[in-house]
Parts: sequence; structure tokens; C-alpha cells
Amino acid sequence: MQAKWINRLLLMPATVWLLVMLVLPLIFVIVFSFGERAPAGGYIPAFSFEQYANLPARFTAFKNTLTLAPLGTLAALLIAYPLAYYLAVKANPKWKTLLLVMVIVPFWTSILIRTYAWIYILGGRGIPHLLEFIGIDGVRLINTPFAVLVGIIYGYLPLMVFPIYVSLEKLDKRLLEASADLGSPPLRTFRQVTLPLSIPGVATGCMLVFILLMGEFLIPALLGGGKVFFIGNALVDLFLQSRNWAYGSAVAATLVIIMLVTVTLYMKLVARVGEQREDVSIL
Amino acid sequence: MSKDYKDNMPISRQKFIEELRRYEKGSVSRRHFLGVTGLGFATAVMAGAVPGLRPSKAYAGNLGDKVVLATWPNYHDEANFEAFTKATGVNVQVNVFGSNEEMLAKLQAGGSGWDVFVPTNYTITTYVGENLIEPLDLKQIPNYEASAFDPRFAEPGTVNGKVYAVPKDWGTTGYVVNTKHTKGKKLTTWKEFWDITKTDFSGRTMVHDYQLTTIGNALKYFGYSFNSVDPKELADAEKLLLEVKPHLFAINSDYQPSLRSGDAWMSMCWTGDGKQLNSDMPEMEYVIGKEGGEIWSDFYAMPKGAPHSAAGYALINFLLDPAVNAKEVLAHGYPVGDSRTNALLPKELLEDPILYPAKELLDTLEFGAAATLTDPNRAELLARFKSA
Amino acid sequence: MTRPNDIEFTNVTKRFGDVVAVDNVSLSVERGAFFSFLGPSGCGKTTSLRMIAGFDQPTEGDVKLSGQSVVGVPPYKRPVNMVFQHYALFPHFNVGDNIGYGLRQRTPQPAKADIDRQVSEMLELVRLSGYENRRIWELSGGQQQRVALARALINHPTVLLLDEPLAALDRKLRREMQIELQTLQREVGITFILVTHDQEEALSMSDTICIMHDGQIVQTGSPTALYDDPVNRYVADFVGKSNFFEGKVVEADDHGAHIETASGRAFAGRNPRNAISLKNGSSAVLAVRPEIIFIASPKTGAPSNADVEAPAVIRNRIFLGEQTEYLVEAEGLGEVLVRAPKHAETQTGGFNPGDQVLIGWQSAAALALEDA
Repeated sequence: MQAKWINRLLLMPATVWLLVMLVLPLIFVIVFSFGERAPAGGYIPAFSFEQYANLPARFTAFKNTLTLAPLGTLAALLIAYPLAYYLAVKANPKWKTLLLVMVIVPFWTSILIRTYAWIYILGGRGIPHLLEFIGIDGVRLINTPFAVLVGIIYGYLPLMVFPIYVSLEKLDKRLLEASADLGSPPLRTFRQVTLPLSIPGVATGCMLVFILLMGEFLIPALLGGGKVFFIGNALVDLFLQSRNWAYGSAVAATLVIIMLVTVTLYMKLVARVGEQREDVSIL
Repeated sequence: MSKDYKDNMPISRQKFIEELRRYEKGSVSRRHFLGVTGLGFATAVMAGAVPGLRPSKAYAGNLGDKVVLATWPNYHDEANFEAFTKATGVNVQVNVFGSNEEMLAKLQAGGSGWDVFVPTNYTITTYVGENLIEPLDLKQIPNYEASAFDPRFAEPGTVNGKVYAVPKDWGTTGYVVNTKHTKGKKLTTWKEFWDITKTDFSGRTMVHDYQLTTIGNALKYFGYSFNSVDPKELADAEKLLLEVKPHLFAINSDYQPSLRSGDAWMSMCWTGDGKQLNSDMPEMEYVIGKEGGEIWSDFYAMPKGAPHSAAGYALINFLLDPAVNAKEVLAHGYPVGDSRTNALLPKELLEDPILYPAKELLDTLEFGAAATLTDPNRAELLARFKSA
Repeated sequence: MTRPNDIEFTNVTKRFGDVVAVDNVSLSVERGAFFSFLGPSGCGKTTSLRMIAGFDQPTEGDVKLSGQSVVGVPPYKRPVNMVFQHYALFPHFNVGDNIGYGLRQRTPQPAKADIDRQVSEMLELVRLSGYENRRIWELSGGQQQRVALARALINHPTVLLLDEPLAALDRKLRREMQIELQTLQREVGITFILVTHDQEEALSMSDTICIMHDGQIVQTGSPTALYDDPVNRYVADFVGKSNFFEGKVVEADDHGAHIETASGRAFAGRNPRNAISLKNGSSAVLAVRPEIIFIASPKTGAPSNADVEAPAVIRNRIFLGEQTEYLVEAEGLGEVLVRAPKHAETQTGGFNPGDQVLIGWQSAAALALEDA
């Protein structure tokens, strides 16, 4: 009896927090999404599906987000994995901590400032200027989807590196020796042992990066020159510029639904792998 | 410690340049930098409480110790705030915004906590209509002498015969072009702006991330009104914008860095930015399209339920003191409509064609209309353009 | 008749930076032997094993497998397999896939049916038939141990390496597995190399034990040879229990020496076989195994064959079943450990702490050893 009471008490702050900060706003978003924009902006109650019918007007935002988010996740994975592998398996233990700190250090600076730095690196006085020295002229990098991708990879890399690093770090190195001992060359050992055992880290990293990317708006705005439009940008504009709360809510609700579906499918996939394996369990 | 402002009035040309340099150091343009981040606003507490500098006799009333001002980036002389604190004991907390829409969104959401804010002419009727601002008690602003102000820049502050806002400064929206790339051709119109973007300047032009100016200046291509909300005319503007979009360098109101780095060659531009760019890079030419475009005026106003209204009035009054206002002009680089202030400004500044364009150019310009800002079709048009 | 050697070390040295893990070691292991490296941690035994497996390469010297030098040959190309400490089973595979792992690495890969057949044969060998689809974490420690054995043996290695294979098991299970390993080795008939710090494990299973200390071999021989003729105090101390009485050599010849302890009393002891003779005046120890020491009541007196005796007081008594261990304080000798077999206890009726007793031994059974 008493234990039950204590459990409730322990869960109280989190429950209240979730209710106030997640459930309640979500209800507002859903209610608003059926309403209409007030003449001077804002919201007036109504019950119409007009806002949802208008969704195709943001098709490009959905398309850009749903292309660049998975692409960015995949690219971050491809860069993060070898780095995490090096840190966890190959790096000299003496330098390991220092190297890990170097991965985190950029996080001490605001993402805004770091992304601004990329404006200069990718801008005309940056990489394109260096390329001119070796005879490659007319390269434009800034304000392109490529620049957005670079920014995304840069910004989210540590989020991908750390879960993978942790899963590789706790990997028993004797398993690799066992595999070699049983006749498997290093590359096959990687494929048969290291990679499958780091799947939990990969799954967590991809999930983190993908979910955050779906709501990204800063990097496309700064490195895409306002021309590469994400759902996040559409939402910022709808709420802060056109002040069309009803339409904004419909876009937000749609984004939430897409995320729920994607994440559910993803978890099902991971769970299917996990059924056969005790070591794969995320969430 | 700032010196008594009367020591350096009237100001020398050299002093003016120094003051302007100070302004230039802020690489952030007037609008939209923070808007683009979506962060909404940034807060800075100016003129931290200095012990021993409590209210002087001049302001005997109980003003409290704090006043909150919502304004644009780099739009004031910080020394003036220090002087205000020194004189009154009231610290000025500055909230910086990126767009009128954001300010409106914040006030509509309620609980802004602002005492004074800086709306642009075309927003004032909306604020009045939404019952978000208070008529001003002009007795508390003795420094506002209506007769000294150019009525063009003061009138939008009066709605239904009540004064809701007093003028701060004004400006124009034209474009700035890097003449190094124009092959000697002189650009003078909006038609040329859009046409050269599709050809020689492909990938080099920037437009604002702001429906009022970007759509307005596209409308000017066809000779329509800057403020048009006519569906057919807007459809023409949209067609032009979509056609031009692949040739744009960026849709971004923070255009100075790209112009300075040489990545962009041309951009829609507000007076102050045009002045700064031209001072540093003489090849940067500020153009007001012959077809017309926007002229605007910014105001001081007070929201309903301002928590420190007495201090708010004191601040407005202080900033409208001609001597203080002259220092403001030197800091932000925009002209004011107050003849008393202009009398204190250097001749070079008053003759500057960027700040004070020729009369025949000015006459073609239009003030933005309230309906233009709140028109949902224009907002959607810009969104379609951005997401295309 | 000597059988060919499966493993040969010739002047092998392995350094990790400044640390010398294995120092100029030469040894050979006969085909089909059960050979153990015994020593405390850091003695170089595991490094020696890893050089056979190929995980470490010698800094100097040569390692040969079946007469062929394997220096520079990676582990996956060596005909040896290892049972790892804590087994190192793959957690993402079931029992069958773990055991079949080695076969799947072959080119060409054997047919699945063939792999399955061999896996089930191996499971039968280690008495885990029908466990193919079990998950690793569902198995007990002993079962995991047997899966690790099967996973190694399925490859028919010429040499099986065992790195502290029983360390993780409880005492009873360890005993069972010791017997099982010995039986298995006889069945498969290949060379087993065991690394352990547990002398009992080494003594009970091995044909040959190599005792290492600070990277060097101290003595190699059969368990009996090591027990009966330890070359020095280190070996005598490591293999079985001994009482050591320190002193100086006062008289020495080829067969033995007299050692004078601090109390001024001199004791005779024989030289172990294969040990160098002690020199007069050098420091040495007299080693006396507790089971050769008699314990008697002063009334009954010493047995007739004993030529050393001393009065003593019982300090402590531990009943161990088939024998009883006494700790006594003996005059001129200090603390002495004595083990009395069951039958002797029956005769004397046993002693209790505080009892006055007589202890002693036969000089011919005591060893005069180098104090190393």
C-alpha cells in the first residue's frame, strides 16, 4: 500500500510535466488545427478541415524535410561510425579522453554561432576561394541543399557518435580475438561481430538525429539561404510571420503524425531484431 | 562614462564617421536576423545599476527602477540609455525583435511585459483594432512637439483622432547593388532589379524574408501598388517571384554579410544598411526604384497594461529630446522627421542622398498599409515562394 | 622414443614498451600432451599463450607450431584454437551458431547440413545435445564453458589453448570440469595448453607443468617431479604447501646440505634432483612438507625413523576430513604446519590447542633449497 503511494509520488513531477508541457499543448494544436485564422492573425474557433485541405501548399517543406532528414541521418551515420569505432577500439587509451572531449567541445558553443561559421567556410571567401587556387572556378556551395546537408551532419555528428561509441566501447574485445581465433579475418570479424553488436548504438543514434532533424529549422534557414525550406521553417513562418495559428497547427499535427508513424515502424523493426537478441534493446 | 552630450554638439564630420563605425560593428542588420533564428527575441539589460546614481531631482516622480523596451537590433545609442539611467535611476531592459509580425504575435499572446515598443507605421491601426495599445498621454511627453515633425512621418501614429504613437525615425526600402559587376550600367528601376537577377546577376541577388517588401517590390515590376492585395496582381507577382527564385542567392533579411563577402552582388535594402555598406564599400550603390516602393516610419508606442508606464513615458520623452535624438540618429543611421533634431545634425548627413533621397524619388514611394501586413493571401504567397 | 613437438619456443622474448613480459624462454611441448603454464598473474604465462594463438608476436626469438615458424602469422591463419577466460561467446548468436562459427569462416564454406551435423556431434561430445537453439545467456557457467570448448574443438585444431578456463566456475563444478577436460583430451588426442594460476588445477590435469616467474621459466616437469623435487623455494612454495626454515649452509656435498637456522640449530636436507648444489656459507632454506612431519604426545615419543624432533605447543587445529591440519609453535623452529593423516589421528586420539606435543621428521625427506 505504502509502496504504491510512494511510486505515485515519485512519478508525480514527471506526470505533471508531461501533462502541462506535452499533452496539453498537443490538445491545443489539434483543436487549433480545425479552426480558422483571425483577420489580424491568431485563431478563431471553428470546425473545418480547410487547414488540412491546404496542406499540399507545404508539400515542398515536407518533401525537403523527409528527404534531407533521412539523408542527413545516413550521412551522419557513415561519418560517425568510423570515428566512434576509432575512438572505442583503435585509439590509444592515453588520448581517448582528450579525443572524446574534442568531439564534445563544439557543443560548448551555440549551434547558431557554429552554423554562422559555416556560412563563411562555404561562402565565396571560403572553400570556393581555395578551389580557385587549384583551378576549379565557379563552385557555389552556400545556400544549396548540399550546404544544408553539411550543416546538418556537422551539427548532429556528436549525437550520432556517442551512442555508437558507447556500444562499441562496451563491446568485449575478446569477442574480436575469438573471431580471429576461429579463422575470421578482420574485415569479416567486423561484419559478423562488431557491426551486429553495435546495432543498439546505431539504432539510438539514428533515432535521436532523425527526430531532431524532422524539427530542424535553423540550419536550413542559415545555410540554405531561406531557399531550402523545412517543415520547421514553415512552422516558424506560420506562427511568427503570417500568424496563421490554425494552419500552423495543422502542419504541426501532420508532422507529429508522420513522426509517430515513422518512429513506430522503426521501433517495430528494432524490436524484431531485439527479439532474437538480448543485447539489442533500445527504450 | 559618457560625456555630457552637449559637449559634442553640433558634431563634426569626423565624429560622425566614428559614431557610424560603432554602428557598423554590429554585423546584424536591422530586421530579421533574430527572426530567422526563430528564437523570437533576445534580451539585454542595459546600463546595469550603478550604485550611488539614484534618481536625480529632475525626475522627482516615482519611476521605479526598470523599464522594458521592445525594439529592433542596433537601433539605439547605448550611451543614451546609460544617460537615462544616470538621470532617473531606471534601468532600460531591451528586448530585440526581428519583425513587426513577431512583435504583433508576442503582444497577441499577452503578457509581454513591455512598457515601450517600436512599431512601424502600417501596424498601428492593427494594434488599435486589436485593442493592444493605449493612447498616449502627451502631457507626459513634453519633448514631443508635434509642429516640429514632418506630418508625413507623424500621421500614422494618430488613429481616430487619438495619438497612439509618436515618430522615432523613418526610412526607405530600395536596393543596394555592387557596381563592380554591372559593367557600367546604371540600375534605376525595380524592373531592372528583377531582370538582371534572371540574367547577369543569376545566383547573386538577395530578397528579404519579408512579405511586405519582397512582394511589394515584385508588384512594382508590373507598376502595381506596393500595397496591392488584388488577387490578379498578386498572381502576377507570384509568377515573377517563382520565375526568379532559382536565380536568387538567398531569401534572407540579414543581407549585409553576404554583400560584404562578395557572395551576393545585390539585395533589397533598408536606408541604414545602404548607408553603412556604401560608407565601407563605395561601389555599393543604394537605389530607389523609379517605379516607387516603400517609405516607412517607426514609432514609439505603449502596449495596454504596461507594467512601468511612468518610466515608459519618461523614456520616450528622454529619447525625443532633440539632443538625445541626434545622438540616436548618429548611432542608427536613419533620418528623423524632427526639424529640431535635424538642426543639430551635421550638414553632410542632411545632404546624404541615401538618407534623404531626391524629392521626385520620395514622391513615388508608398507607406505600407495595415491591410498589406495582415493580408493572409500575401503571407501565403510568400510561403509558397519560399517553399517552392 | 620421442614424439614430435607440437610447440617450440626458441629464445622467445616479448616486450611491451619497457616491460619484459616473456624473457628469453625456450620450451617444447610434445604432441598430445596436456601442458600447463603455472604462475601468478604477471609471470608471462598468458603472453606465452597469446603468442601461440597469434594475438601477440614475439619481440625476439622463434615460435614454431608443428615444426613451422609462425612468427608474423595472424591468428585466423593458425591451426590452433582457444577457450577464452569467461568464454567470449558471441551474444548475438545462439549455441549452434556459436559452435559452427569456425566452420562458417572456411573457404569454401561447408554446406549448412554438414555444419549442422558437426555442431550436433560437438554438442554430443560436450554433453549438450539438443541445445542448438538456446541463447547464450540462458546457459549456466558450466554449460557456457562446454559451448566454448565445442566451438574451439569443432575446427579440429592441432593445439587447444585454454586460458584460465575454470576460473569462473564454482569449486564443485571446477572439479567436474577438470575431470571432463582430461577425459576430453584423451578422446580427441590433441595437445592441450592450459594457463592457470591455480596449482591444484595444474597438478590434477597436466602431464607437464611449466612454472613461470617474472617472464622466465623456473622449472618444467611432471606434477610429481615438481612436487618432490622443486628446484627452489619459489617452486616448492607454489606447488603444494611447505614449511620453510631459513638459514645458512654450514656443510654441503653433492647429495645435500646442513642448514643452520637463526636459533643455532642445524638441519640436514637432501638436494632435489636437477638442482644445483648449494655452497657453504650461502643462504638457503630447509623445506619440509607438512605431511612428512609427525606429531606425537610427549608420552608416546617420536617414531623410530625420525631423526629430527622438537617439543611444540598446539596453536590451532583444522579438521579437513581425510586429514587434520595443525599449526604448532615449535621450539627453535617457530610456527610449523603439520598434517596428520586420518589413521594417525585415530591412533593418537587428536590434539587440542594448548596441548604439549612432540614434532619431527626424517632428514632424508627434507629438502635443502636455494632461497629464491
